[in-house]
Amino acid sequence: MRAAPWVTLVPGARTVALGWLALLGALALLAPVLPLPYPPAQPDLAHISLPPFAAGSTHWLGTDPQGRDVLAELVFGTRTALGLSVAAAVLASAAGALLGGAAGFWRNRLRLPLVSGVGLLGGLWWALALPGAGAGLVVAVAGLAGSGWAPARRPPRLPVPLDAVVLGATALLGAVPRLVLVVVLAGSVALGPAGLLGVLVLTSWAGPARLVRAEMLRVGVQPFVAAARALGLPPGRVWWRHALPAACAPLRTAFPLGLAGLLGLESTLSFLGMGLPPEVPSWGRLLNTARLEPTAWWLVAGPGGLLLLTMLALQALSRPASAHK
Amino acid sequence: MKLPLLTGLCAGLLVACSGHRANVADNVRIRWDADPETLDPLRQPTKASSEAENLLHLSLLQVDYAKSSYSPGLADSLPRIRLVGDSLTLLTYRLRKAATWDNGQPVLATDVAFTLKLMQAPGLPNESIRTQYNFIRELRADPNDARRFTLVCQGQASDFAHTSGDFFILPEAALDARGTLRRYRLADLIGRSASAAPDTVLAALARRYAAAAPGRRPERLPGCGPYRLVSWEKDHHLRFQRKPQWWADSLKPLPAVLQARPSQIDFLIIPNEASAVLALRRGDVDLYPDVPAREFNRLRQSDKARQTLAFYTTLSHNVVTAGFNTRRPALADRRTRQALALLFDVPSLLAATQQGLGQRTVGIISPNTRCNYADSLPPLAFAPGRAVALLQQAGWRQKAATPTARWTRQGPSGTVQQLALQVRYRAEETAFETIGLQFRAAAAQLGIAVELRPTEASSLKATLQQGDFDLYIKAVQGNPYIFNFTSILHSQGVGEANLTGFGTPASDRLVEAVALAYSPTVRSRLLRKLQVLMREEMPMVPLFFENNRIVANRRLRNLCPSSMRPGYAAAAITWGPQATLQ
Amino acid sequence: MASLVFLLSRWAPLSDENLGLANATELGNGALANAQARDLARQAARQRLGVAEPLFYFSRRAPMPGGDPVPWQWNGRRNQYHRWLGALLRGDWGTSFRDGQPVRVRLGAALACTLPLTGAAAALALGLALALALALARRPWWRRPALVLLAGLQALPLFVLATGLLLALANPDALDWLPTYAQAAEGEGFFALVPYLVLPLACLVLSALPELALQLTAALAQELGAGYATTARAKGLATKQVLQRHALRNALVPLLPLVADLLPALVAGAVVVEIVFSLPGMGHLLADAATTRDYPVLVGGVLLVGAARLFSLVLADAGARWLDARVA
Repeated sequence: MRAAPWVTLVPGARTVALGWLALLGALALLAPVLPLPYPPAQPDLAHISLPPFAAGSTHWLGTDPQGRDVLAELVFGTRTALGLSVAAAVLASAAGALLGGAAGFWRNRLRLPLVSGVGLLGGLWWALALPGAGAGLVVAVAGLAGSGWAPARRPPRLPVPLDAVVLGATALLGAVPRLVLVVVLAGSVALGPAGLLGVLVLTSWAGPARLVRAEMLRVGVQPFVAAARALGLPPGRVWWRHALPAACAPLRTAFPLGLAGLLGLESTLSFLGMGLPPEVPSWGRLLNTARLEPTAWWLVAGPGGLLLLTMLALQALSRPASAHK
Repeated sequence: MKLPLLTGLCAGLLVACSGHRANVADNVRIRWDADPETLDPLRQPTKASSEAENLLHLSLLQVDYAKSSYSPGLADSLPRIRLVGDSLTLLTYRLRKAATWDNGQPVLATDVAFTLKLMQAPGLPNESIRTQYNFIRELRADPNDARRFTLVCQGQASDFAHTSGDFFILPEAALDARGTLRRYRLADLIGRSASAAPDTVLAALARRYAAAAPGRRPERLPGCGPYRLVSWEKDHHLRFQRKPQWWADSLKPLPAVLQARPSQIDFLIIPNEASAVLALRRGDVDLYPDVPAREFNRLRQSDKARQTLAFYTTLSHNVVTAGFNTRRPALADRRTRQALALLFDVPSLLAATQQGLGQRTVGIISPNTRCNYADSLPPLAFAPGRAVALLQQAGWRQKAATPTARWTRQGPSGTVQQLALQVRYRAEETAFETIGLQFRAAAAQLGIAVELRPTEASSLKATLQQGDFDLYIKAVQGNPYIFNFTSILHSQGVGEANLTGFGTPASDRLVEAVALAYSPTVRSRLLRKLQVLMREEMPMVPLFFENNRIVANRRLRNLCPSSMRPGYAAAAITWGPQATLQ
Repeated sequence: MASLVFLLSRWAPLSDENLGLANATELGNGALANAQARDLARQAARQRLGVAEPLFYFSRRAPMPGGDPVPWQWNGRRNQYHRWLGALLRGDWGTSFRDGQPVRVRLGAALACTLPLTGAAAALALGLALALALALARRPWWRRPALVLLAGLQALPLFVLATGLLLALANPDALDWLPTYAQAAEGEGFFALVPYLVLPLACLVLSALPELALQLTAALAQELGAGYATTARAKGLATKQVLQRHALRNALVPLLPLVADLLPALVAGAVVVEIVFSLPGMGHLLADAATTRDYPVLVGGVLLVGAARLFSLVLADAGARWLDARVA
């Protein structure tokens, strides 16, 4: 089998990629003890927008328009990049693959036992404290208990339009500008790290989901899936073991590319005052300061280069091992 | 395969190279960063809209940019002031004889009366202007002179003489030809409650106003100003043309505020600053106000740019201020506030955020107004060491001997107070963020935890009014002739514009006295006293005044660079001879 | 969907600035208007903008001590949502809070500016990506540098790309070839506008190209490795023919969602490019509407973009069926 195209950049691409990611991980872990000349998030007001390697200065990589040391921001930004952006990209891809894969596999033909459906509705009724909430609770308990017992007896089933729901949700997310999201969330307090991760995943799972769904439409009719079905395997197993791994192929390219988008989104949120607090360094924020100083190439080169290398490394690693010859 | 793109590029280049559009005649092209949104004379939501409406309409008094003061516009002189008792002010104006509307009809006191009522009538977009001018309770027309009238103002304040003449006068004939509004009394309209029974006449007026839509079609409500709107491409371009015959042309001598020289004024909307600078350099734009400090200095240092551009700076009346939430127990005593104020490194901040284009200040009065500025006070120093001493005097103690240990103190009734601050400022404001980061770094050295909370612009004001902050950083806009600080410093303003929540009986009395002082010497004595008091109590820390920075084509003359918004007089501009270009 | 946006966006009350009231925090704003007059003004502004009524058919009651056990109350049909929905069904999209213009007019004007630009950019990007991917799949010597370059382009934020192009090609200090501000004088035809659109167009194409080209290259490589392609080659078909006849068709299927995404993007415009190049398009309009809380315009825009997206999804499914008959 031939390798996917652009990963054979270097013969030992995989090793190099692993090495790069390990280096980043080490940087992130060791950042506080590294002998950096300047701490992060501390403006050196006497040196604003200093180019790198300026004579007589220990700002080796220069400073940004607010006087922060670029080197310190880059090193400490690694923590944010790995902890937030990469994590969000992984989670978003996983969520997208599961939802998109399920939607593409079952389309609108999935059925849920009626009793559990009613139980869920009852639970919702109770949670919203609508009139007669107690009755809702009873229905919920009864319904959920019933669904535990029901599958053996083929009860009446409720069709679940899974495909339509997933498609609708992706359409909704795609159509709502991020700024509206900000409008809605702006009144609330600044997001914690977990909340921020949640927002990032919430806004970015739709892309992978659509990709996987489209691929699943194709994979679902391939001979090997049909064969697995014909063997009488349960649909869930066919989906998980056979169809889904094949349908995730487009994600290999999309995942590293999505990282760049996530970094951008994270810095946009920070820019609007609802992302990371300004004292937390991040590559995205550093890239963003280039807005103030369009001629300061070093503000783009540093984080942009790191981002590019990370994307290439992830790309090399995301290739299936079987592709190696 | 790349052929189409290449061909497109080449074709584009060919056309572009021939397309440098030189300026013709005496037109002026000015850069704006945003659309004015509306040209409704009853409201000016943006800087751009007030600038544009100043070309279309005139008010009784107009801002004279060269002198930074009000001069008579439609009125023939400044008003005559008469105080009645201790709660009424009478201001008598007379309109210029020559002043006419475009159709030749004279501008009369009835038009002023109509405008005042329009500003208070229900159902019109006048909510903002309504509260601003509701101190004018009545217009008494002179029975012998249709151009003379007296405004009866409730209360007494030195600024009434200016503010009472600062609204656009609108033609009664265009909106209310039958004079239906004449039978309403101004005071009744002001006092009209929201739940009052609907009134057919007022509703008809509101309908007529909405149908005329002067916000979008200003030509339907013509003013007596020198220009008219010719074209308006939303978010892109506005063009104003000089009226060929305008009433003030016949005035001899022509007052400075009634000059209108360019035959055409274009406003180009270029949101991005880098693009605007390039447009200016290429000659697509003649005047660029509010240039970012960094770009301003870079252009000023470029030899090539200096050949075609001229640079103007004036000290504005915007003061960048940090304010404490004095309602918080930890910040309620002035020693703590004084200590924290010593953690701002103002000279460095001024150099870093404004490139040195600004001026340090001791108070909220501009250092430019020499007579009022308290020059006896020294500017604030950056002195973390003294801050520690002051904190200890205020009862704060560090838990451990290390310099970065946390500070606590015993509050009343056995509570323990922590010294930790939450700083709020407008998100997207990098200058404020730099100030916040500097303050945070200085405070961290002393062991004071500071959390920066950039807040989205539209929710910032509400957040501050609710008191959900310890320290805010914002620019406060002022002007050189109104000294009424009741709204931001008086304890009556708490919960509204007085964000710090500060106000003692002594400071309240002083603020009231300043607002009432008519004599300049008394006022300047009181203002100095107020600055000393504010420095002592330190509810807010005025850091520095910003500069207005304007870059314009070298050949532009008579810009009248001014400390007042927008910082120049567009209508007064002329072009110098071509020869000076080289 | 738009209903959800409508409700969410109006959840938070409008602040004074957004109601068009003066900012009272300015120095020397003069006498303190009394609180009653200010509240009256706020109330009047809300009424004029139509946001005084309750939002929805029912609302949550403010918690009262010992009050009603049911925390919901019924508002009847006098609510903002009912009026909005009714007007929408009659074809009335509402009027902007900020300038009082009908939303339809504003969206129409912005679309007229955006569509030619984004349409041309999408077509160009798609064509270039196809050509590039087909060329790359034949493994020429410049494949590696090209792939790294594409990944680099993707890593570059759009605003950096746009300002970079601007500073390089419209700068008196560098190459002063292209204009920065599009302003057609009267009497000039369409071609006078061409130079103004070169830079934004290049910017949009460069930003859309990497993802399309990289995905397509990867898909093509996968297809070439599949059994049928090997068979085809074994039958003696040239790589080029295999690519164009067989692999491309299959490789396009998973790519369809990406292509489908281009359609709503066409309508939504490109905020960054429009702002950098001073074009009054949809992206600019919607971003402004969001920052100034001009909800009618915002909801109208969302409605339009959402419709375009649903349409594109349907189209993508149809396309998948056409390309691959086995997809049911």
